[in-house]
Amino acid sequence: MSKRLINVAHQPGPTCIAFSRDGKLAYTGGSDSLVRIWHTDEGEDQEPDIATEANEGVTTVTAANDYWLSGSEDSEVRRYPTGKNELDGLVTSAVGVAVRSLAVDPRGRRVAVTSDELSVKLIDLEEVTKVTTLSAHKRGVRKVTWHPSGSLLTTSGSDGSIIVWDVSEDEAKVEKTIEGVIPAVADTQSPEFLHDCSAVWHTSGQYFFAASRTHEIVTISRETWSKTFTYTDANATGPTTALALSANGVYLASSCGEEILVWSVQTRRVLWRNTGTPKASTIQIAFSPTQNLLAWTDTDGMLTRWPEPIPAGSPDPVRPIAAAGAQGAAVKRAGTPNLWNDGDVAAGAPGDEEDEYGGEDWIIDDLGGGMEDEPEQPGVGMRPAGDGFVKEMVSITKAQPAFQPGSTPMENKKRYLAYNMVGVIEVTDQDTHHIVNVEFHDRSTRKGYHFTDHFKYDLGCLGERGALFGCPPELDHPAQVIYKPYGTWSTQGDWTYVLPSGQRVLGLAAGGERPMRSLRDPSESGGDAQGHGNVVIATSAGDLTFVSGSGVERIVLGLEGEYVTMVAGEECVLVVHRPGATTIDGSQSLVATLISFEDFEVLQEKPLPIPKGQVLKWVGMTDEGAPAIYDSAGYVHIMINFRRPNRGTWARLLDTNTLERKQGKDESYWAVGLSQDTFMCLILKGRQEHPGFPRPLIQELAVRMPFRNKDPTDAPIEERIARERVHINLARDALGDELTSPDLDKREVELDKSLLKLIQAACKADKAPRVLELTKRLHFTHSIDAARQVAGFYRLIGLQEKIDAIKEWKADSLSPAEEARERRRNLGEEDTAMARPKPFQDFKAPRKVERPGLARSAGVVEHTEFTASNAAARAVRAKAVERSASRSTSPEGKRKRDEEEDFASNGFDGEVKRRALGEVDAVLPLAKPRDNPFARKAGQEPKRNPFARKPEVNKPIQKSESFFNKVEAAELDKGKRECQSCVVDDAIWYLTLLCY
Amino acid sequence: MALPQPLRTSVTPLELELIASEQLVEIVPLISMEKTAFISGAYGPLRPPAKCRIPLWMATNLKLKKKCHIVPPEWLSVAEFLQERLNRETSQPEFSKLPFRFAEIAKVILDVASDDIQNADKIRSLLKDLREARQAKSRDGLQKLDHSELSLPNLCSMEINEIRPFFVQAMGVLTQLVKEPVADARPDGDY
Repeated sequence: MSKRLINVAHQPGPTCIAFSRDGKLAYTGGSDSLVRIWHTDEGEDQEPDIATEANEGVTTVTAANDYWLSGSEDSEVRRYPTGKNELDGLVTSAVGVAVRSLAVDPRGRRVAVTSDELSVKLIDLEEVTKVTTLSAHKRGVRKVTWHPSGSLLTTSGSDGSIIVWDVSEDEAKVEKTIEGVIPAVADTQSPEFLHDCSAVWHTSGQYFFAASRTHEIVTISRETWSKTFTYTDANATGPTTALALSANGVYLASSCGEEILVWSVQTRRVLWRNTGTPKASTIQIAFSPTQNLLAWTDTDGMLTRWPEPIPAGSPDPVRPIAAAGAQGAAVKRAGTPNLWNDGDVAAGAPGDEEDEYGGEDWIIDDLGGGMEDEPEQPGVGMRPAGDGFVKEMVSITKAQPAFQPGSTPMENKKRYLAYNMVGVIEVTDQDTHHIVNVEFHDRSTRKGYHFTDHFKYDLGCLGERGALFGCPPELDHPAQVIYKPYGTWSTQGDWTYVLPSGQRVLGLAAGGERPMRSLRDPSESGGDAQGHGNVVIATSAGDLTFVSGSGVERIVLGLEGEYVTMVAGEECVLVVHRPGATTIDGSQSLVATLISFEDFEVLQEKPLPIPKGQVLKWVGMTDEGAPAIYDSAGYVHIMINFRRPNRGTWARLLDTNTLERKQGKDESYWAVGLSQDTFMCLILKGRQEHPGFPRPLIQELAVRMPFRNKDPTDAPIEERIARERVHINLARDALGDELTSPDLDKREVELDKSLLKLIQAACKADKAPRVLELTKRLHFTHSIDAARQVAGFYRLIGLQEKIDAIKEWKADSLSPAEEARERRRNLGEEDTAMARPKPFQDFKAPRKVERPGLARSAGVVEHTEFTASNAAARAVRAKAVERSASRSTSPEGKRKRDEEEDFASNGFDGEVKRRALGEVDAVLPLAKPRDNPFARKAGQEPKRNPFARKPEVNKPIQKSESFFNKVEAAELDKGKRECQSCVVDDAIWYLTLLCY
Repeated sequence: MALPQPLRTSVTPLELELIASEQLVEIVPLISMEKTAFISGAYGPLRPPAKCRIPLWMATNLKLKKKCHIVPPEWLSVAEFLQERLNRETSQPEFSKLPFRFAEIAKVILDVASDDIQNADKIRSLLKDLREARQAKSRDGLQKLDHSELSLPNLCSMEINEIRPFFVQAMGVLTQLVKEPVADARPDGDY
């Protein structure tokens, strides 16, 4: 604690103190009818100037922009130029009674004067004859204060009532009379009369503080004019004799008995104490408006200055709260318009800056005071009439403060610390402590609990394996994090991670595998066998600390830039941070990094697709573990391909603005979770920004990709196919080397059915290119057959042939699963170049050698020498060229063709021909002795897992790929259109079988 | 309606309740369960906090074990809906349109899950008013009763059940009465 500076200022008796608006001077008045002017930057040995004009004791002093004023018991209010002791003039005088309090409005235009008269005078400082008289009090008025906006005036009467006046217009009217908060003191000579009973407005203007008659400090909300919070401390039981608020509204100073207490406004706890003059009662306290300085005067006539009451490392009492250290109470931004609207200069550009973002609500204030504007201190340095530079013009985009996904600010003494797909953490404020209630959606897996929290946790996270809480540092304890795994029934699994003093926790994330069985059962078969997951802590030291679920510190990663938020999944954590600054045109420039828990590998690092002027509202993990985000513009994005390093990208899954239910309604959505087909959210009506209590039910919105095609039949199917494709790919990426599973196959069959519906519609509309494109996307050979039959049904013979060709390429090329495996291998090869060891430094086991000769003998698809391995298009072009060449050269083919033509000319009936058509495939391979049936296709076969499921396993083993045969079959077919009707029947049957 | 025992030949309300219990309702499960096959079909899987549609009997069962919250159907959750129906019921001669088994479903849900419904008491009294208004109308229908047909659209299962024994008997008697004067013109009734 730094040294205090004590000066004897006045005779023992009532005293008063006020700082000048620039904080350089302090004025004190006392019962010796003197006012002394102290320089705050000088020590105890200074000789202050004295103003001697008062005839009786000075009861109050205050400072305006260019003047300071004093009121005394001789019923005069005197005005002096700032810093001078030469009388400038009388402002007003009460009729023979003592002046009790003076207050100049924030703009320095009007002064309110209270005296033992029943009326309050409001005097224009420029023209002191312009007096408004406010009369509603029934006894003398002891104190008067201004609302920070200058539109409200609060007066505290000696009858115990506080009257709030609306003085924004010429005619002042009573806004509210609040009875029963402050004590009634009738005797002006009693010591209680000197106690501070003023209503001290918070800089946000949302509430004021007052010392109540029950010896507590209470806050009165401006909205309801009722008591919202109380400030109590076990060691401060006497009456509060003086109250003052720091310039930015973070700290509150009060005096109780001989002690001076400094409270945190947000946590409502005493942070620091100091002792005043023994056996004297402090009468008035004041925070310096520009310095870290607290000063008070007492009944002994002493002036005590306490430089640096707020130690280094804590938020400054003067500077507006920075985003990172935002611990302000739940307040809205103070209204700025008044400052500019009546100014005669430069009310233009800078003042309008807010309107570009839709008024003052364009940004969502998750942490409360985080985005608060600078508290208004006109006259200190923001005088609009100054040199023309009204406001700093650079970086006008407010940086989004750090937030916990799923948390809300404290409202009506309740808040959510976390609300996600696992459960809910609710906090109830009981003034001296919090009650934390943890509830789970799935009560069969985890058991809910509640506990009393003396640390006042302000961060919370519910992971799959445990609940995590974090609290800010306070007087007697540093910042700490406690992890409570679910798997244990006692507290033996809990651990606490204590941060060094001076550091605070910015964010928390708890991840872990989804439990396969109930975590309620604490036996060894229960949850803890699978571990307690992983914990990530973001600290103000600019790092991410990874701790294992049992409390083992694993690594501390540095974080480039400012931390914003994070969420943990099963195997990785998504951290959102701001590497640089926000841009001048409104972008938050946030970047998401996906870090795996396994080896802290960065899987993805992508900027967030948030439109300009919008902020991130929520981050989460989908059921599949894909990172998802929701922003204030109403878009839901997930990261696709997030398991392929550096190949992830954000896909827009839902635009909540176009939802049907939103049309014509004023509602917003508060994200909770995202699964494959549903977006889980809470629906907020009107301008509500956070869900309230009791806990609303989670609503499910169907996920629709924002496709713009409005076709009523095709568009929904197309959208569904595209979305399903995304999820199948995500699921396939999650699989191991197998790359296919019965479940995935089933989903692909479903996808093929939808595609067939589209193909049918396209056939009907005669859109051949569309049919072909859709056919190419089919996954299974038999679906291509079905497509062919559909085309046949609509008598699109040319199309049918093309579909046949597609089928052929498909048979040649790799199946989707193989393709995916191929691609994954290629990606792996690309990355191996970096990981390749140097020669002679490779101590790994020798690489496994493939021995195709020893592999299981299996049916092999036979290929001709003309078949290209996978480039289907190229293959066909080549074939077309070869076709003409081979026709002329191959006598074998020619003979065959002749035979077939003979068949046709002999005039068999359709039935027989159809069979012949089918037989061509089966018979002809025997006539191809050139091919080596044991030949393997290069690059594909040796890598194939012999145990992998093969979609074409039930096909005939010997299958001809000879182009001639196909051509001939097709040509044969051309002559037989009349038999199509039978095929159509088949196709319809096939399609119905598939689709229904 | 108060009828002597021999006339009460129709199904009891309890049996109707049983029939209505097959209808699907939405629940928010509090436990997780795999998809389970029952005789009437397979329901689930239950994955909290996602909603799920299951039959009312199953929902009742789970609710009594505190394993789910029942999401009341649209027409039961909004007091304005029932209020509007009641207004229409009292101002217009015909029956207003309500779900066919609204009485049974509402009763079951209000019995087991009144804590999941907002303004349960208000809804209870509205339902009672509705029932009385509709009962009065079906009594009025008695005046219009003739031997051949009775058209009461939008009558619900519980109400049909209520009037059935008496109306059928009455119509039988009326047929007898009508049949005699015009016995040769109209060969036979069905009774």
